[in-house]
Amino acid sequence: MTQYLLRLYIAGMTPAARRAIKNLEALTADMAGQEMDMQVEVVDILERPQLAEDERILATPVVVRRLPPPVRRVVGDLSERERVLVGLDILER
Amino acid sequence: MRCTHQAYKQSASVPDTWQQLPAAPAQSQSEITLNPSKPETVDTGIQGLDFVLQGGLPRGRPSLIRGGPGTGKTVISLTYLCHGITQGEPGVLVTFDEDPDALLHHARGFGFPADTYLKEGSLRILDMRPDQSETAGEGIELTAVLTRIEYALKQTGAHRLVLDAIDGMEGAFPGQSGLRKELNRVFDWVRDQRVTTLITTGEVENFSTRFGLEDYIADCVIALKQEVQHRVMTRLLRVVKRRGGPHGAGEFPFLLDSQGIFMVPVSGAALDARVSSERISSGVPGLDQMLGGKGPYKGSTILLSGQAGTGKTSLASAFAQAACRRGEKVLYISFEESIDELVRNQSSIGGDLAHHAGPEGGHRLIMEPVRAIEMGLEEHLMRIMRSVSRHQPDLVVLDPISSFTNRHEGDCAKEMLLRLMYLIKEQGITTVATELLSDSSGGVSHLDVSSMIDVWIKLRRHEGNGELNRLITVIKARGLAISNQVKEFRMTDSGMTIEDPYVGESGIVYGTARHARQAEDEQVIAQLHRELEQARRLREETEEINAARERLARAEREARAVDLDRQVMELERRLASIEGARSAIRRSRQ
Repeated sequence: MTQYLLRLYIAGMTPAARRAIKNLEALTADMAGQEMDMQVEVVDILERPQLAEDERILATPVVVRRLPPPVRRVVGDLSERERVLVGLDILER
Repeated sequence: MRCTHQAYKQSASVPDTWQQLPAAPAQSQSEITLNPSKPETVDTGIQGLDFVLQGGLPRGRPSLIRGGPGTGKTVISLTYLCHGITQGEPGVLVTFDEDPDALLHHARGFGFPADTYLKEGSLRILDMRPDQSETAGEGIELTAVLTRIEYALKQTGAHRLVLDAIDGMEGAFPGQSGLRKELNRVFDWVRDQRVTTLITTGEVENFSTRFGLEDYIADCVIALKQEVQHRVMTRLLRVVKRRGGPHGAGEFPFLLDSQGIFMVPVSGAALDARVSSERISSGVPGLDQMLGGKGPYKGSTILLSGQAGTGKTSLASAFAQAACRRGEKVLYISFEESIDELVRNQSSIGGDLAHHAGPEGGHRLIMEPVRAIEMGLEEHLMRIMRSVSRHQPDLVVLDPISSFTNRHEGDCAKEMLLRLMYLIKEQGITTVATELLSDSSGGVSHLDVSSMIDVWIKLRRHEGNGELNRLITVIKARGLAISNQVKEFRMTDSGMTIEDPYVGESGIVYGTARHARQAEDEQVIAQLHRELEQARRLREETEEINAARERLARAEREARAVDLDRQVMELERRLASIEGARSAIRRSRQ
C-alpha cells in the first residue's frame, strides 16, 4: 500500500482555496478505495509565511507531494483530476 | 483517508487578508504632503545616476528599470540595495530570474560583502524563480508573493525592495487566464507599500507598458539600452519619467564591468572649477622660471605638445614626481606605454616613479595603463573618471591624449577630451596631458582643445650638426607672466634642465653646436683683440714718429734759421768791410 503525504498550501480561504480543498478531499476519498493511503495537510501561508518561504511558494493553491520522494507540485484549484494525477505522479490502477 | 488540519490552523475568517496587511505609517504620508514640491529621495549609490535623478529614487515609491538582456538592470538594483545596507538600511531582493547564489556572487564582485549582509540579516533574498509546476485547474493566486515579501520586509525592517526581472512571472503559469489580474494585484500592492521599490523588467513584449507599470505604478522609469557604434558597445541610460521631480534629460552613457556601475553626469558638467591662486612646481626649476617664476597654478590644465622624442612623457613624469615630493597624490594614466616601461624609461633620466608608487613613497603615485584601442570613447572617459573619483588625486597625468584622436574620427574625440578635462578641472585637480604631434604636422596641434588649456607648453626638436636637441617654449599660460623665449631643454641622467640657448654672431644655436660655435667665436674674438692691440700699437708708434719728425724738422728749421742768420751777418760784415775799404780809398784819393 503506497503512502502519500500531500500538503496543500493556500493563502486565505479564498474561493479557489475552497475548491482546491474540496477537489483534494474528493481525490483522497477515491484513492482510498484503491489501497492508497493519502494524508493531506492544509497550510495557510498567511498564518505561516516562513513555510511559504521554505517551500518557495509563488502561486496558490498548490499541492505538494512530500512523500514519497521526489517532491512534485501542482498549482491551481485542482479541478482537472487527470492533470492532478499526472502532476503528482499518482498512478491509478 | 485522513485529512489533517491539526498541524496548521486554518483561518477561514480572512478571505482577503493581504489587503489587511499594515499600511504605511501615517507619519510618512504627512511628510509627503507637507513637502509636495520637493519629494524625498533615496540615493542609489551610483553617483552619476543620483545626479541625473537629482537626488535618487523617490522615497517610499516604486520605480521601474527596463532594458534588454545585459543592459545592467540587475547590477543597478544590486548596487542600490547593497548601498542602502552600507547606510544602515536593510534591503530585500526578490529574484524572479537569476539564481540567488549568482546574485550574491555579483554583489561580491562589486565589493559588497553580501554573504555577511545575509548572515547579519540586513539582506534577504527571496527566490521567486518560477519552477515548472504542473497546473491543474483555474484560479491561481499570487498572494504568496505578497505574503513572502511582506514577511521579509517585516522581519528585516527593510527600507529598500528590489523586484528583479518580474516579467519572468508572465510565462510561469501557462494557460492561466487569471494571471494578468493577479500580477496587476501584485503591482498595486507594491505601490501601496511605503517602501522604496525598484522593479526591473526586460523589454520583451512591452511587459512594463502592458501591465501599466510605466504609466500607473512607477513614479520613476529608467530605460537602459546598448548601442553599438564603430563596433564598440556603449551602454545608455535614460530617465523616461520622474513623477513630481526634475531629472536630467537625454541619454547618459554608463560603465558596467566587474567593478560595478559608474556614470558620469555628462551634461551636468559645469564650469565652476575651484580657482586656486596656489602655485605648484613643475619639477623642473627652469620651467618654473619660464612660468612666471613659480610654476603653474594648482588646478590648471597643462598641455605638453611635441613630436616624438621631445621629452613629453619625461616632463609629465617630472610634474608627477614633484607633486609626490610635495606629498600630493598623483594618478598617472598611460595610454601607450606600459607601467614597467614607463618606470624603466624614467629611471634612465633620474626619475624614480617606482619609489613614489611603492610603500616607501607612501603609494602616492598610482599608475594605470589604459589601452586606447580597447574601448569606446565614452567608456574611456568613464573609466578615467572612475579612477579619479576612487583615488581623489591632486594631479592627473594623461599620457598621451592624442592616442584618442588618432583612433577616433571627427569631433567625438575632441568633445570627449574637453569633457574629461572639464570634469577633472571641476574637482580642482591639476591635469598634465601630453599630445603627440606627428612629424608631418609641422608642429601644429590637431587636437584643437586649446580653449580648455591653461598652460600650453610646446616641445620641439632641433636637428643639426648630426645631433638632436630639444627646445621648449611656453605658448600660453593664463594669468602668468611667461617667458617669451625658446629655451633649450636637456635630459640628463640626473634629471632635466632648461638652459638659455647660445646667442652668437649668426643667430641662436643649441646643443653641441653651441659649444663649437662658442669656441669658434671665442677664437675670433681673441684674434680681433690681438689685431686691435696691434693696431693701437701702430697708431701709437705713428704718433711718436710724427712727433720725432716734427722735432727733427723743427730742429732743422731752427738750424737753418741760425745758419741764415749767420750768413746774413757775414754778408753784412763783408759788405760793411767793403764799404769801409772803399771810403778809405776815396779819402786817400782825395
